[in-house]
Amino acid sequence: MKEKKSISKTLLTILFTALALFWVYPVVMILINSFKLDKFISTNTVFKLPGAESFAGFSNYVEALTSQGFARAFGYSLVITVTSVVLILICTSMCAWYITRVNNLLSKVCYGLFVFSMVVPFQMLMFTLSSTADRLNLDTPFNICVIYLGFGAGLAVFMFTGFMKSIPLEIEEAAMIDGCNPIQTFVLVILPILKPTFISVCILETMWLWNDYLLPYLVLDRKKYTTIPILIQYFKGSYGHVAMGPMMACIMMTVLPIIIIYICLQKYIIDGVLAGAVKG
Amino acid sequence: MERAIKKYWPVFVLPTLAAFCIGFLYPFCQGLYLSFCKFTTIKKASFVGFKNYIYALTDGAFWHSFGFTTAFTICSTLLINVLAFSIALALTSKIKGSNIFRTVFFMPNLIGGIVLGYIWQILLNCVLSLLEQPLLALDATLGFWGLIILLCWQQIGYMMIIYIAGLQSIPKDYLEAAKIDGATNLQILFRVKIPNVMPSITICTFLTITNGFKLFDQNLALTGGEPAHASEMMALNIYNTFYSRTGPQWKGYGQAKSVIFCLMVIMISLVQLKATKSREVQQ
Amino acid sequence: MKKKILSAVLSVAMVSALLVGCGSSATTETAAPAADSAATADGAEAAAPAATGEGQVYYLNFKPEADEAWQAIAKSYTDQTGVPVTVVTAASGTYEETLSAEIIKDEAPTLFQVNGPVGLANWTDYCYDLKGSSLYNELTSDSFALYDGDEVKGIAYVIESYGIITNVELLSQAGYTVDDIKSFDDLKKVAEDITARSSELGFAAFTSAGMDGSSDWRFKTHLANLPIYFEYQADGIDTTDTIKGSFLDNYKNVWDLYINNATCAPADLASKTGDDAENEFADGQAVFYQNGSWEYANLTGKGMTDDQLAMIPIYTGAGDEANQGLCTGTENYWCVNAEASEEDIQATIDFLTWMVTSEEGTKMLADTIGVIPFKNAQDTTNLFVLNDRDYTAAGKTPVSWNFTTMPSEEWKNGVGSALTAYAAGTGSWDDVVAAFVDGWASEYALK
Repeated sequence: MKEKKSISKTLLTILFTALALFWVYPVVMILINSFKLDKFISTNTVFKLPGAESFAGFSNYVEALTSQGFARAFGYSLVITVTSVVLILICTSMCAWYITRVNNLLSKVCYGLFVFSMVVPFQMLMFTLSSTADRLNLDTPFNICVIYLGFGAGLAVFMFTGFMKSIPLEIEEAAMIDGCNPIQTFVLVILPILKPTFISVCILETMWLWNDYLLPYLVLDRKKYTTIPILIQYFKGSYGHVAMGPMMACIMMTVLPIIIIYICLQKYIIDGVLAGAVKG
Repeated sequence: MERAIKKYWPVFVLPTLAAFCIGFLYPFCQGLYLSFCKFTTIKKASFVGFKNYIYALTDGAFWHSFGFTTAFTICSTLLINVLAFSIALALTSKIKGSNIFRTVFFMPNLIGGIVLGYIWQILLNCVLSLLEQPLLALDATLGFWGLIILLCWQQIGYMMIIYIAGLQSIPKDYLEAAKIDGATNLQILFRVKIPNVMPSITICTFLTITNGFKLFDQNLALTGGEPAHASEMMALNIYNTFYSRTGPQWKGYGQAKSVIFCLMVIMISLVQLKATKSREVQQ
Repeated sequence: MKKKILSAVLSVAMVSALLVGCGSSATTETAAPAADSAATADGAEAAAPAATGEGQVYYLNFKPEADEAWQAIAKSYTDQTGVPVTVVTAASGTYEETLSAEIIKDEAPTLFQVNGPVGLANWTDYCYDLKGSSLYNELTSDSFALYDGDEVKGIAYVIESYGIITNVELLSQAGYTVDDIKSFDDLKKVAEDITARSSELGFAAFTSAGMDGSSDWRFKTHLANLPIYFEYQADGIDTTDTIKGSFLDNYKNVWDLYINNATCAPADLASKTGDDAENEFADGQAVFYQNGSWEYANLTGKGMTDDQLAMIPIYTGAGDEANQGLCTGTENYWCVNAEASEEDIQATIDFLTWMVTSEEGTKMLADTIGVIPFKNAQDTTNLFVLNDRDYTAAGKTPVSWNFTTMPSEEWKNGVGSALTAYAAGTGSWDDVVAAFVDGWASEYALK
């Protein structure tokens, strides 16, 4: 009986190892192909390892960085993600505190609207949002965060309020009695307690923002700015030439930082995602 | 205390609310209005009543995309949840290296839809050409399963995490009690484990349903709706109606379609809300 | 109460700081990224004309192959005149999509293009009447202008030719010369002979007829022009809202020839790109390559010489083959955005006039774009254009470009999908016919 169990466990482990290999294979495939010369990447040669003839060294990476504008797109993606996440975290946590602690019409209406906005698909407002952003000049990577704050407020507020409801009132009341005004109370008392939720929201919003394609594509001023997903979409069929090698290099340079960050911060990310899912 | 905070509403609420009005409320209301208009730009809109809705509801391609989306949502929801739950079960049974597996399976979740779409397009086209089968862009059925594989690969890890958390929260006593009573593994699974992870199942089901229904990036990158719109899902159909067609009538049609789409998503969410509520009552 | 006012003031300050921050960054940030875009020489210069109220030019370019040349000429124009010129090139197959998204913006393109009367119908509200403008006066003939009633809405800026680009060197290795190909039957005979001996010769007859978005226009638009042309000729018309498809069998013959004698299996065509075909041709893997005069610079850039190249007509077995020339015409009409400010419209017209009159502008156009229908046009070194001239001089009739009468992009995509499916064996030729004939009627019905 015991032996049978250990055999089945070994089988399971083998099965899972195979599955895990299958899971990482697509990324490995891109990695391998990113070292091949352009013309050796086509539908029937993708599985081949680079040989002496087809090995391109780092030329695809150099090309992607220099002529394909990867560095710029990476920079813009970073600016958009960082500014938007910071703005969302600060503004929505404050808003959520107000909503949980004040019981009036304003907070009820706000809460209802925020929850509603989580449901509405982006297609519903893609046209009007892009023209609104254009009219208000919110079409650069440096201020698109206002749009993101508006459009992404729902989930963040929802998560923050979910957590704040469980914070006992007494702590805040004590702080108030000690002479703190609401802003001081919020910064000195609430923020430290909120840290885990901050991390969760931060991770969820970062994942969304970093990978978002359609919103920046429609909102940003195309004459000047691209983000990474837009760049990769442009590779396809752009200019009548699909530069497969540099495209693979771009994908790799997009994916690698994510994987490295993920491996380093695994615990936080998984917990954050979990908290978000269970709350949402 | 409430009164003290109340006075500070402009500090606490206004920034978010202002941005929310710009980024959501105003465009939303305007979109609602424009769905009754013929327009190329917002300034040049003329009211046409329900004409756009009539067109949208009689458009064969739109209904096709609805069918495709529904079929896709059902398939992906079933597959992802069954697979994710099985993996979660196995990983909680203390096999070796379950942490590593967990890490690996979750990884694709962090990669964006466009990038994933291209990775899988290259990979699947390769496999298909080795098998001497038509490529993804040629066959809507292949495109359908391609999308399913892609979405499974992306989301199983996420759902797995939720299921693992659910399974781990089952009190040990329950399992031990069942064992002492002589329950088989299968009985434990169906009588103890599954009823106790029902909350996780509800969450995961609705997450996969809404994700599947609203899918856009992956669809755009993997098949682009080829061949001839046959693998086009609703979100992409709306996008194409808006931007790939030229002529003053199309934007109105697209906006009407998006309102219909939005209503469908809201309906799904209402069902979810109800399901969650009734679950809470049971507990 | 005091507290209330304080908090109100505070919040107003905060919100306005937020908005002002956005507003000011919108104006000042432009300087830095603008330096990146090839258009403006540097931030300071870009800001100067805007301040004095002079116009700017924003050109949404349709021709991806000419992107670099446009960027360079725009920069040079800006250096000389101080007028900022931004050139943005839409990714291939997304021009209409990009234009419809861009035109509604505050800084909409001041200059865009339509591809003929059908395209104009969609954009005519945005087209500035160019009648009497300095640009219009440079045209060699009125027939190169696109009219809507009395108004001049578009100006053709290039006349191009397409046909089958032939690698003469490889053709002679196979034992033939260009003169051996005078009809569809000849072409078929040569191509099938090369295919039969391809392992021995080491090359194939045709490059891959890639149906990826970067290449499918060669077949769903350019090749599809031939059956339309012959039908119009036979019926004595120049546009129709119901096509009969009388010459679709000829279309099928050529398409069959392309896909069965190519460098790859027909099923693989769906993912082959324009790049693939160009590389195959430049690498000497195939003798024939259907494309146009705009390909000349790319091919010579990849090391091919004039001695290796020639362009021959696309024979389909229809019409008078003995007198058939290359397909020559235009689908590129410049339009100036009527919604732009007066200054921008003027700046745009000035830029275009400079392009077609100055030494530098006409040289760039002659070298990268080809023949331009303007009085000051320079002579071109483009071999394919010269080929076209020879054919015309020899009394052959060029095939006109009738794809400007195709009902919509949607129609082209429908035909393209059907062609791809037919090539891969997942669809039948009847589907192509249906997409061609029924699709035409239903798309016109939507107008």
